[in-house]
Parts: sequence; structure tokens; C-alpha cells
Amino acid sequence: MDYPTLLVQAAVNGLVIGTMYMMMAVGFTLVFGIMRVVNFAHGEFYMLGAFAAFFTYAQWELPFVVCLLIAAVTIGVLGALLERAIIQPFRSDELSGMIATLGLSVIIQNAAIVMWGPTPRSMPNVIDGVLTIGPFTFPLSRLLVIVAAALIFAAFWVFMQRTRTGRAMRAVAQDAETALIQGIRVNTIYPIAFGISVALAALAGVLMAPIFSVSPFVGLTPMLKAFVVVILGGLGSVPGAVVGGLLLGLIESFTATALGSLVADILQLLLVILILLVRPWGLLGQKEA
Amino acid sequence: MEASSASVVAKASESRGASGRKLLTRVAILATLAAALAAPQLTTNQFYLHIANLALLNAIFTMSLGLIAAVGQLSLGHAAFAAAGAYISALGALQLKIPPIFGIAIAGLAMGVVAAVLGTILLRLRGVYFVLVTFLAGQVCTLIALNWESVTRGANGLVGIPPISIFGYALSSRLQFYYFALAAFVAVFAFIWALMRSQYGRAFRSIAENMQLAESSGIDTSRYQVVAFALGSGIAGAGGAAMAHYIRYISPDTFTFHESIAYITMLVVGGRQALLGAVLGAAFLTPLPEALRGFVSVQHIIYGAILLGVLLFLPGGLYSIGKLFTALMTRSEKRK
Repeated sequence: MDYPTLLVQAAVNGLVIGTMYMMMAVGFTLVFGIMRVVNFAHGEFYMLGAFAAFFTYAQWELPFVVCLLIAAVTIGVLGALLERAIIQPFRSDELSGMIATLGLSVIIQNAAIVMWGPTPRSMPNVIDGVLTIGPFTFPLSRLLVIVAAALIFAAFWVFMQRTRTGRAMRAVAQDAETALIQGIRVNTIYPIAFGISVALAALAGVLMAPIFSVSPFVGLTPMLKAFVVVILGGLGSVPGAVVGGLLLGLIESFTATALGSLVADILQLLLVILILLVRPWGLLGQKEA
Repeated sequence: MEASSASVVAKASESRGASGRKLLTRVAILATLAAALAAPQLTTNQFYLHIANLALLNAIFTMSLGLIAAVGQLSLGHAAFAAAGAYISALGALQLKIPPIFGIAIAGLAMGVVAAVLGTILLRLRGVYFVLVTFLAGQVCTLIALNWESVTRGANGLVGIPPISIFGYALSSRLQFYYFALAAFVAVFAFIWALMRSQYGRAFRSIAENMQLAESSGIDTSRYQVVAFALGSGIAGAGGAAMAHYIRYISPDTFTFHESIAYITMLVVGGRQALLGAVLGAAFLTPLPEALRGFVSVQHIIYGAILLGVLLFLPGGLYSIGKLFTALMTRSEKRK
């Protein structure tokens, strides 16, 4: 394979992984920005999304758009309920809230093992075929992920910028008390925000399910990457999560091509620890007072 | 004059009450120790002994995690220190023929030094940032253990690790290791107990309570945090090494992120406020999964559910039940 082809393919692969990281990180950072909760169960909602895709698309053979909708709605509602029941009691106690999400992640993952077994399953591609532009060929299945993720993120962005609820969420993220004084029901905003956050994770799971395999253990890596991305971009910063996610995907794809994926992983984690120490508020985040 | 004599009387009666309680505590400690020494003689069941050994080791891990938590920091990389300690001692014994008992000491010292160095850098972060960085550091350790195959033999792990031997007397049976683990447990317990009652313990608590206030009262907060982190991680390293010489096998799966969560669970379920809480948590949660052998996932679900239940409904952990009980007792006594 010649050089330009290799580079272009690394770029496309990087964008595919990058959009997944972006969707994971945006939801993760949203919850942190609004509720100050580090959600250690975030990856498990990705895993649930992947299983939702497996059942609705591979087994029941529903149209893919319907599968996306089903996953987003069911897992989003589940997330909102879990927030109300388990995370809300720890509003004033960051550390206990985080420990609660650890417990939640253990329960969800092992419930998945009990219900669906630990063996990885594979899923068929949503579309086959390739797109050829000049000397380059792109598999359509990868392009679909990029396009779908871009559309989902655009919808999320419009929701946050244009709707009442989206504006209310941003207000709560800035200052919960002031938002409360303005008549925003903070206690209903929290479950909605959490639901949207985990719905984004679930959608990432649906999109990636045909590319990676589906098993109860698939949530850990995306969650780790979400941590890395939000530290890069700044905890609580949505633009930081977008830029950080895409950047990390591309960097990872190129370094893995050049150095092997393991070295790339270790280097990445060390880089993030370094950034945490020098600039704990991230590359694009705001310094906390 | 009158006022001062009244206060003397009050002090005298108070100290009488205190000395009575002290005596009671001493008797309770002696009785517990005697029971712990005698218990294995009553059973020949190897399985119960194994559980007791694991509970003692888990108590050591949980107490050391609690020592770090005492300054208000939560480490999600605690198992990584145990793993590194285990590998150091195991490799020392296998390749350099270092006696395991020295290997354990070396592992503890090495991890203490590593944690002190890391701590001076990492402990600038607080709260969730510190948790995230310890989580990521733990992941780095697991990746290294998996991939540095020439030394760690990767996923296969190290086999045939020799047991601990003292003056040429090998502690190869479960019963022999039980007494070793018990001694180690008592030593760690006594050490942390004394530490928490010293000037250090008071400084730790004030840092956990209010960092700014502690700092403006002239407490060197970063130094005390590093001390707590180094001691806690050092104990974890030594504990991990002891575990390696007990189960005689170590792999990247022995101490993972899940073990770090398990120690946090034990700490929270037992009670974060007191040293005894860590012990209660380990004693309660170590045997629990054995009731569900063969259903590992169900065990984990129950672990998670207990963790959530305690967090939600019993924030002080199991320890606070005992506290509640004594409070009720003294109240009824006063009524008499």
C-alpha cells in the first residue's frame, strides 16, 4: 500500500473512532458540568446501546434509524430514572456520588453477563460497499458512522442552544442557585441531563456495534477514552469534548499505525496524567475559582 | 474556688467513666485476639482458613486505603500498588532468591517511596481530579504488567512463587500463613491506630475537614497528604507481596481496577470514619461471595447493591450500627 492511501485510511479510521469518543465525552462532560458527578457507569450505557443494536437490528431486523431511536429512548429513560433514584441523594457529596456510580457500573455490567452471557457476538454491517473517490476507497459502513454521529451531535447542539430545556441546562451548569432563582426546576433538569448524557453513550454504542463486537465488557475502553478526552478538553466543557474527542481519535489512529496500539495507549495515558498536573482545567476548559 | 473544686469533681468522675471504658476496651481487644488465635484450632476446614486469610489481607488493604481517605483523598489505584508490590517481591524471590520476608519489606518500602514521589506531584489535585488520575495510573500499571512480557510474563503471570519462610521454617500451609497474616494485621492496625491518635492523625482529619482552614492554621497540608499516601500505598505494596507468597501466583488479573473498587466497597460498607470500619467491611464482604460460589456475576451484583444500599441508607457504614447500639445502651444506663 502506498503512503497517501495509508494516511487517508488512518485519517478515516481516526475520524470514526474520534466521533465515538466525542459522543462519549460530550455526555460525560455534560453530566459533570451540570451535576458535578463523575459517572463511572458511563461506559456501561455504551454497552447497553451496543446490545440494543444487536437485538433490534441483528435479531429483529428493524430499520437502523428505528434501532437508534429505540436505544436512545429506552436507555435515556433508564438513565433518568437511575439518576433520580441513586445519584440525586448525593447532590452535596461529590465523592459519595462517584462511589455510587462505581456501584452502578458493577451492577449493570454483571447483570448483562447474567442475562446475555460473556461471549462476544458480532453484528452485520448496516451498509456494505465502498465509495471510490479518485485513488481512494472508503467503506460505506465507516462513512455512515461519521455522518450519523455528526447528525446526532448537530441535533444535540440545536437542542442545547435553541430549546428552553437546553438553555435551562446551560444555566444550571453555570450556576445552579441562580438558575433556581430564575424559576428553573433544577431537580427536573438533573434527570433530563443525565438521561441525555447516557442516551448519547448508548447511540455511540449502537453506531460502533457493527464495527467492534458486542459483549458485556465493551464499555470500559470507551469510558477510559471519555475520561482522557474530557481531561484533554476540560471537565465540563462541551466544545472541549468535541475537539478533544476528534483529536484523540486522529492521534490514536496515526500513532497506532506508526508505533503499535499498545505503546500508543500507554503514551496517551501518561500524556493525560501530565496535562492533569500542568493544566487540570484542560486545554479548552475554564480554570475553576 | 467552689467552681474549680466542682470542675475537679466532674473531671474525677469523668475520668472514672473513661478508665472504666478503657478497661472494657482492653478486655474486648484481648478477648478478640484470644479468639482469633484459638479459632483455627477449632476447625480443620481448609476452606474456612483460606477465607480467614483473605479477610485479614483484605482488611490490611482496606485499612491502608482508609489511611489515604483520612486526608480526604480517594485512591482508585490502590490495587495497582498491591500489584506492583506483589511483582517486586515475587520477581525478587524467583530471580534473585531474596527471602520472601525481606521481599515483602522491600516491596512495602519501594511502594512507599514511589507513592511519596508520585504523591508530591499527584496530590496537588483534589477530589474527583485525584480519583481520575489514580484511576488512569492504575490502568497504566495493568497495561505494563500485561505487555512487559520479558519480565512479567504477560497475561500468563508468574507461577511457582515460594512461600514465606521464617528462619528456614516455611509457612506453606494455610494455618501457618493465618498466624503470619494475623500478626501482620495486628501490626498494621496498631500502627494506623497510633498514627491517627498522634499529631499526624489530627492533622489528617483537619485536612479532610477543611483544607483551607488547616493550611491557614499552619498545617503543611501537602506534606501530610504525601505522608498519608506514601504510608497507605506502602502498606498496600507489602500486603500485595504477602498475597503473592500466599497464593503463590500472580498475574495482571490478580489486582485490577475491580480490586480497587472492592477495597473502596469494603471501606464504605464498613464505615469510613473509623479504623474499625475498614476491618468490619473486610470481615463482612470477604466471606459473602463464597455463599454464591460459581455465580461470580451474581456476587458482583450483590456487592454493588450492598455498596449502593449502604451509601444511601447507612452512610456511616456497619460501624455506625455499633455506634448506634452503644449510644442506646448508655442512654438506658443514664436513665437508671
